[in-house]
Amino acid sequence: MDLNTFFFGGLALVSLGAFFYLGKFKASKAQTERDDRISWTKGKFNWRSCLTIALGIFLVFFFLSYLGYS
Amino acid sequence: MSKHQALNTFGRSGNPVFGNKFDGDAQFRDLPAAQKMTLEGTVNKTGMLLVLCFATAAISWNIPNPVLMIAGMGVGFIAALVTIFKPTMAPSTAPVYALAQGLFLGGITVIFEAQYPGIAVQAIGLTFGTLASLLICYKTGIIKPTENFRLMIVSATAGIGLLYMVNIIMTMFGGGSGIGFIHSNGLMGIGFSLFVVGIAALNLVLDFDFIEQGSENGLPKYMEWFGAFTLMVTLVWLYLEILRLLAKLRSN
Repeated sequence: MDLNTFFFGGLALVSLGAFFYLGKFKASKAQTERDDRISWTKGKFNWRSCLTIALGIFLVFFFLSYLGYS
Repeated sequence: MSKHQALNTFGRSGNPVFGNKFDGDAQFRDLPAAQKMTLEGTVNKTGMLLVLCFATAAISWNIPNPVLMIAGMGVGFIAALVTIFKPTMAPSTAPVYALAQGLFLGGITVIFEAQYPGIAVQAIGLTFGTLASLLICYKTGIIKPTENFRLMIVSATAGIGLLYMVNIIMTMFGGGSGIGFIHSNGLMGIGFSLFVVGIAALNLVLDFDFIEQGSENGLPKYMEWFGAFTLMVTLVWLYLEILRLLAKLRSN
């Protein structure tokens, strides 16, 4: 086993272990008890802003490509 | 509790698979505890999907075949659409998605590995490393997703999706290599890949928050499969982007 496999394979295993262990616990109060949590309930998401920003991101990259940046 | 009420339980996450209404306001309180979504159940189901994905990826890795890859991509896409629009079917469609994506990922990984030996284990390590790091950041409250956070991540994800779609259309209809820097290994190309990897990683935070709140609200049990499915979608995307980024870095 080379060093690359040992390091990244080990990272994958340790990370998966952490995910399966920590994933079962509730998030801390700092996360769950705050007023600005995402409201997954209806009607809060601003789709108009979302589309505007998405289009902006698209246009920036598109024109950078058009101008020949690579 | 009817399944129709449960269908209305989905919210809007940065993850493209979330799209319906989320009427989680206590409408599932009457469900018995055994029929409610839990964090443990979701994590276990994510594990099952990962095992299925690895199993078919191993087949595709050992028997590289473009037909398997294309079939995996197609079946995975259909299974994903069915899961998104019919979340009640997630217990059967999410495993199909994982199996199909495994075939696709195994095949594409072989191609990258042939060009850049050792890249597969690097991409797998970094993908799961990112997953664990962001889970720790989320659980401890270091990263606190807010409405503005969600708006930015969803918007950026949509912008990237649009860019990829235009690139495919341009490539198909004679636009040369499409949008140049998407595939280039120059500074711009690497910067773009870093940006996409960042956005894909932050989608995980939205997935964690959705799953956390889903279990707090006691959504129906099948939502565990849906939560696991959303994590898989983001992980598959993140893995592919990390693979591309590493390939760009190593081709220099």
